[in-house]
Amino acid sequence: MSQLAIKSLSKTYGAFKVFDGLNLAAGGGEIVVIFGGSGAGKTILLRLIAGVEEPTAGTIEIAGHDVSDIAPEHRGVGMAFQNFALFPHMNASENIATPLRAAGADESAVSACVAKVAKLLKIDHVLNHSPRELSNGQKQRTALARALAASPKILLLDDPLRNVDAKLRFEMRLELPRLLRQSGATVLYVTQDYKEAMALADRIAVLANGAFVQTASPEDIYTRPATLGVARLFGDPSINTADAVIGTGGGAHVVLGGTRVPLAESYAGFAGREVIFGVRPEAVEIGSTGVEAEVIAVTPLNERTVLLLQNSSGWEFLASLPSAAAGIPEAGSRVRASFAAAGTHIFDRQGGERLHG
Amino acid sequence: MAELVIARVDKIYRSRKGSVHAVKALDLVVKPGEIVALLGSSGCGKTSTLRMIAGFEEVSSGSITLGGKAIHTLPPAARGVAMAFEAYSLYPPLTIGENMSFALKASKLPQAEQDRRVKSMAEMLEIADILNKYPTSVSGGQQQRASLGRALVRDAGLYLLDEPMGQLEPQLRAVLRGRIKHYLREHNCTTILVTHDQTEANALADRIAVMEGGVLQQYATPAELKARPANLFTGAFIGEPPMNVFTADANVSGDQVTFTLEGGAALAYPAAELSAELRGRLARTPKIALGIRPHALRLGGGVVRGKVVACQWLGDQTHVAVDVAGRTVVSVSQERVSRAPGSDVGLSVAARDLHLFDPASGKAIAHGGTLA
Amino acid sequence: MDHTSGLEKILRGAAIALVLVFFLFPIAWIFLMSLQTNETILRIPPSLAFTPIIDNYTALITGQLRTAAGSLQLNFMQNMFNSVMLSVCSVALSLVLGVPAAYAFARFKFRLGEDIAFTLLSFRFAPALLVLLPLSLYFKTLGLTNTYIGLIWVYQLICLPLILWIVRGYFEDISPDIEHAYRIAGNSWWKTFTRISIPLAKPGIAAAGLLAFIFAWNNFIFALILASADKQPVTVGALAFVTASGIQYGQIAAAIIISITPTLALALYAQRYLVEGLSMGAVKG
Repeated sequence: MSQLAIKSLSKTYGAFKVFDGLNLAAGGGEIVVIFGGSGAGKTILLRLIAGVEEPTAGTIEIAGHDVSDIAPEHRGVGMAFQNFALFPHMNASENIATPLRAAGADESAVSACVAKVAKLLKIDHVLNHSPRELSNGQKQRTALARALAASPKILLLDDPLRNVDAKLRFEMRLELPRLLRQSGATVLYVTQDYKEAMALADRIAVLANGAFVQTASPEDIYTRPATLGVARLFGDPSINTADAVIGTGGGAHVVLGGTRVPLAESYAGFAGREVIFGVRPEAVEIGSTGVEAEVIAVTPLNERTVLLLQNSSGWEFLASLPSAAAGIPEAGSRVRASFAAAGTHIFDRQGGERLHG
Repeated sequence: MAELVIARVDKIYRSRKGSVHAVKALDLVVKPGEIVALLGSSGCGKTSTLRMIAGFEEVSSGSITLGGKAIHTLPPAARGVAMAFEAYSLYPPLTIGENMSFALKASKLPQAEQDRRVKSMAEMLEIADILNKYPTSVSGGQQQRASLGRALVRDAGLYLLDEPMGQLEPQLRAVLRGRIKHYLREHNCTTILVTHDQTEANALADRIAVMEGGVLQQYATPAELKARPANLFTGAFIGEPPMNVFTADANVSGDQVTFTLEGGAALAYPAAELSAELRGRLARTPKIALGIRPHALRLGGGVVRGKVVACQWLGDQTHVAVDVAGRTVVSVSQERVSRAPGSDVGLSVAARDLHLFDPASGKAIAHGGTLA
Repeated sequence: MDHTSGLEKILRGAAIALVLVFFLFPIAWIFLMSLQTNETILRIPPSLAFTPIIDNYTALITGQLRTAAGSLQLNFMQNMFNSVMLSVCSVALSLVLGVPAAYAFARFKFRLGEDIAFTLLSFRFAPALLVLLPLSLYFKTLGLTNTYIGLIWVYQLICLPLILWIVRGYFEDISPDIEHAYRIAGNSWWKTFTRISIPLAKPGIAAAGLLAFIFAWNNFIFALILASADKQPVTVGALAFVTASGIQYGQIAAAIIISITPTLALALYAQRYLVEGLSMGAVKG
């Protein structure tokens, strides 16, 4: 039985439809990341589950029970907010203690529990600071501690790392999985950072245009994206695309800028189909064969170097190579690029769905 | 296309609550056609520096010369500087197109040439289809591109770009970085870019000026900053994920050099891999801060052992966090790696990837086995 | 700019002094008047040289006003009591009614919500005299003329809109997430309202209450029409000094000084709240 189930959930505001007919089931202790751009309705979904807003249609079940008529304070969920939502008139310790006090725990149990969770989150030294005295990172940890304090069965985390700086975000990304596993809660984690999603999720549910476009493991999402939209959302730099038509003369192929790019033979079934050819920048290989292109610019990114390439017909595409690799071409030079099959995807030009070759 | 020389510039903000020394004795030379990034966290003095160059702030002392002419006493409009603002600052009653051509009005270029420039700039920045819209009706990313376009379309001796890409749509960012870099190169634009995002600085800049606390920490190429950070601050600041830093004791004995890390783990190298001067230095003062970049920390082998805390594959790289004697260290691999959390793993690092710093002053002692 | 020259300092000081004189002169002048007899007040040319007397104050407190034309009974202390009674009760009532209403307007979107809120505010737009004519007729019919209840009721026209609109802004500035967080932590909506929303809006509530108190205290026209002598506040009571034998400037001045003292003291005491409450607004975590 799933710990949390969402069935045909819809939410509209007047004429504006946020999402429609969402279905999702999460097992006990599972971490499901809800991923989508801003305005996709991720936060609203969490609010519906928490019970602070009501769905327009559909049901939410926690541990098999419909919670539609249960007030937020009785649903047994914990939630951390993007803006932390700490109570400004209480210090960190009182903030963390709120769910415990509300549950009627006696004071000694409260302070023991606060101390424990504060130590886990490394904020035990700032417990009697008021929120305005805390750094952003400490606020974020306090908010997380408050959500975790009463060991809720369901933990809703609304982009908790959004408002902390890059370094802290990175540290927390490494720390969170262990923390969440220890809590044992079923976690719904909202983010718009694809790296965070891939790093933390057991499964990722991609929310776009009011529906879950794909719900799958990080590996599936990245290597087998359901649509071009999903492929574009995951990866930095994002996937290169070009309009093409699948040809079959002499094996399945597409023609890019006058050069034949062979495809797996399994695409032969789509002969004549108008498609979008997609290739991930890290699957572009610079060598002696393939599409001829000029290197427009070389932009080193951390340990990788990104090349902006342009072929004779004006198609711009990016290649991402490890910076340590030998023979990174210079701007202005002419190179040939081929495309590794693993990072090459073919999408239908109309519907955008990935064609399975 | 002019050389910018910033000489001994100080900026002190005085107020009733006391004074803030925002920029301290800054010396910086930007060569003609060079792209330089001022990189630092908020409050490091980079924005004050930019505003002094643009003329929105007075220098408290020192001088700024552009193409041999002292400009720090001139009003902003007379400095021959084009600027893209972090907050866009587009004129709301003008369309995006008018905003961009507005900058050319004073240039006395023929109208046809002005139109051509605006059009090609708009195409480069992917805003050709919104030229007739008003700033308030387009997204933040589009406004930012328009603001960038308005600055770049001008002929100026110096281009100042304040956080020019912070709001860009992630899917466009990489391509636009490439196009903008190409444009700046082709037009030989002397450019100063202010950013807190090291990815952006690395991607665009020929040289990066790292600032902290109003002081220029290091001014070097991106590769040099990574390979030879001048001090612990730059070492830890540059690089994503950040450098793993340990306090360590060096022990030089015969044909081996051993670094004993906090917590007890030890790294040993044949003495030949470290220069004689460095060995001498370590023998005299064995206390050091040891920096290892996550990309240089290899999984498997090695005498340092730890437990995997997290193993996160991000599509084009894998981040592995390992608990070594109570400290979490990070290793990054360009390939996909699978290690179960809780499993045992060995770690190794080559001598050429070691960064040694003085733990007290933070100054670099050695990189890759030779003195800094 | 960063640098201030000596001349600038002097000019700035002079400007501030000018403003202070402009605003404080009337109060100072009235205070001086309250310590003089009618004769010294009215002499021409006016002079600052006089022997201060406290007769005006004793007259007000004892209720015995002696003039050249004879002795007169005064009930100024009763007026004072009425002012306190009316202002305190009407502010208290409008807090009890207005704060929850402000919360509702801030948090819930309901049918006609904006219209109701605007209607309440519009009570402050209409000239008081326009409202008074029908009101006095109603009051007669309902038997509310010259009762505290009637006056407190009509004072709601002054206090309620003020409290409603100021406090509403305050509640709107509190992130709903903060309230949601408290509810999800296991607390009922009522507890959330009393433990989170009200404490966080406290500066705003205090500021609005104080302003309402001052407006209520200073009201003149409602009490003039709807109440007779024994229920009238000081603002109306001061009319008694316009006597058959002339205007008693000294007593009027003393009455003004006494009557502005409570609001002044309150304003000074609550200055911190007022500034915080009316300017800062947002509640930041």
